[in-house]
Amino acid sequence: MITETKREITYLEAVREALVQEMRTDKEVFLIGEDVGTYGGAFGVSKGMLEEFGPERVRDTPISEAAIAGAATGAALMGMRPVMEVMFMDFLTISTNQLVNAAAKMRFMFGGKCSIPMVIRAPSGSGTGAAAQHSQSLEAWFVNVPGIKVVAPSTPYDAKGLLIAAIRDNNPVLFMEHKLLYRMKGPVPEEPYSIPLKSADVKREGRDLTIVAYSIMVPRALEAAEKLTAEGIDVEVVDPRSLKPLDEETIVRSVSKTGRVLIAHEAPRTGGFGGELAAMVAESEAFDYLDVPIRRLAGRDVPIPYNRTLERAAVPQVEDIVAAARALAQEGK
Amino acid sequence: MATEVIMPKVDMVMETGTFVEWLKQEGEHVNKGDPLFVIDTDKAAIEMESPADGILSGVRAKLNDVIPVTEVIAYILAPGEALPMKTVPQQILTISAPPKVEITTAPEPALAVAKAINLGKVRVTPVARRLAQELHIDLAQISGRGPRGRIHKADVLAFQKSHAAIESVNEQKNAQPAVALPAVAVPAAPVPLASIPLPDARRKQVIPLAGARKIIAERMSYSASTIPHFTLSLRVDMTEAIRLRERLLEPLQAQTGQRVSFTAILARAVATVLPRHPYLNASLADGSLILWEDIHLGIATSVEENLIVPVIREAQCKNLGQLVTALSDLTDRARNRRLTPSEMTGSTFTISNLGMFGIESFTAIINPPESAILAVGRMVDTPVRTGDGFEFRPMIQLTASADHRIVDGVGVARFLDELKSTLENPYLLI
Repeated sequence: MITETKREITYLEAVREALVQEMRTDKEVFLIGEDVGTYGGAFGVSKGMLEEFGPERVRDTPISEAAIAGAATGAALMGMRPVMEVMFMDFLTISTNQLVNAAAKMRFMFGGKCSIPMVIRAPSGSGTGAAAQHSQSLEAWFVNVPGIKVVAPSTPYDAKGLLIAAIRDNNPVLFMEHKLLYRMKGPVPEEPYSIPLKSADVKREGRDLTIVAYSIMVPRALEAAEKLTAEGIDVEVVDPRSLKPLDEETIVRSVSKTGRVLIAHEAPRTGGFGGELAAMVAESEAFDYLDVPIRRLAGRDVPIPYNRTLERAAVPQVEDIVAAARALAQEGK
Repeated sequence: MATEVIMPKVDMVMETGTFVEWLKQEGEHVNKGDPLFVIDTDKAAIEMESPADGILSGVRAKLNDVIPVTEVIAYILAPGEALPMKTVPQQILTISAPPKVEITTAPEPALAVAKAINLGKVRVTPVARRLAQELHIDLAQISGRGPRGRIHKADVLAFQKSHAAIESVNEQKNAQPAVALPAVAVPAAPVPLASIPLPDARRKQVIPLAGARKIIAERMSYSASTIPHFTLSLRVDMTEAIRLRERLLEPLQAQTGQRVSFTAILARAVATVLPRHPYLNASLADGSLILWEDIHLGIATSVEENLIVPVIREAQCKNLGQLVTALSDLTDRARNRRLTPSEMTGSTFTISNLGMFGIESFTAIINPPESAILAVGRMVDTPVRTGDGFEFRPMIQLTASADHRIVDGVGVARFLDELKSTLENPYLLI
């Protein structure tokens, strides 16, 4: 699956490449959203795509996320493979009725007579100074809706492979693109490839402690792990990549090996996906290998502040992960 | 109707109690309120009363049994009534997954139950529990290094290692019985000691280090080996304090029913002076210095072989009469083993008086987490120069041990000096 490559592109370019390649090979795939055409997307993901595919397949819409989601759901129902984009994940609130009550339910309510193969692309996360209404990470809402899959890639390589898998999936897939990751560079093979949705990735192997992190928390956890190496603490970083379906086995195997687990995410702690991960570990056979309580490091239970200092303080940073991982690795030793 | 006699929970954090002795025999008639049995807690032995009138029956606890709180250890029956043949209440059993234990009349039932349930109550991480099971190690024997004594994998491995060392020594012993006693390699775990050979002598008795003695051992070794102690002492002329006591004996006895002791006067003096010397009423914790507003005065008291320190809370707010009352109540109940653990913990400063045993002066080890302790000696008539001649004055020696991390020599000297002038002019204490 993994092709050796020396070519490095950004996360943003990897997302675009996946879109372009899928649209070239499958005429049913199209992009729909606000300013995705002429403007090239709120973050520039779809730059140049209007020129290649025309306004039929790169469709600008009025400012109505409900209409985008409804149109995409209808198109999917009729056999197309829409990729809808909202400018900020926060605006999924407007789309929620279409996504939760229509897109997620139809395949089940009609006894499998239809399917809804659509992708919802949603730039998520804080760190850009965009304040409380443009910085949220709402994955926990959607993993709680049966019928929707949730993917949160952390590298350019994963972004391309997972987006292609999401487009080819016959169910609604929420695809979270972290705004701070758009500019991250990494090796990405030129040819199309897909990464199975239920496949967690061990981003770094280690003995002493497992950090389960996704999206922006992966590069932060990796940086923290490097810092802790100097202290003799050997950290393993596991990236679930898709939150639903979740590759429990890889996480359980890692935690069983290290006996210690720190779960990191940006979304607020209360009701966050970390609670699900913690419960999954506690219920699994990894329980018998735990040597310290499972610990979560998550965003504070506050709306993301506009003030840059407070914004930074509201979500786990590298130094927070270092401190939490160090404490966890040393407890009871 | 049978009344259950249970292992009492005498302290919020108490989970098990060690049984010491029955004060009544099986089949003996008891009245409600009679002293019935003695248990050992972390702090001290405590005497418990009978919960009902009747006949003590179905006694199933014995010396050194470690029993979970609320566990039934006997019944008080009406004459002619039969023992209820019931099993352990469900909520106790569900604490631990391991084999269901039923109380029967089989020998040593209480011990078996205590062990099984105790296993469920130990704070232990899942991996340590599994490892202990695999290695057939009883978790109750391991002390954990984690928060609140939680047992981690490392504790189980350390225990196994030290245990293996002891076993190999025992094996050597058995293999060569005629050879002189080998040096016991003391396990690394609780008491790190060099390999010191034991004397080749006949043993009269071997007492397991447990209960209050064990706590004292741990606290005192911690204090002596980690706290940089220094001691200062001075002599105090007690002429005026004696006069004060004589004057107050009768009125205070009328008021409180107790005789004023020198310990009470000392306690009053310390409680008066100490607020002006906050570093002697302080604790070092988590990298900070806590200066205590309250003076919880510990009064070191000997009960049988054990030291216990009943605590007079907020001593700074108590007048002499109140101190006399509090002190006599605490020491009486200490000797009758009726103090609750909360009355024996949480002191911020300790006074230890060995004057009644003829000791003239001594240095005490700080009772952590306190920062200082005052050792009080016997009153000795001592020649003191007055004008051209001398006269005999009743002098006591006060010796303060202090934690040099928290307070320096001058600070302790000022405290002792003020204490001395207060005791030599004690009328301000009333």
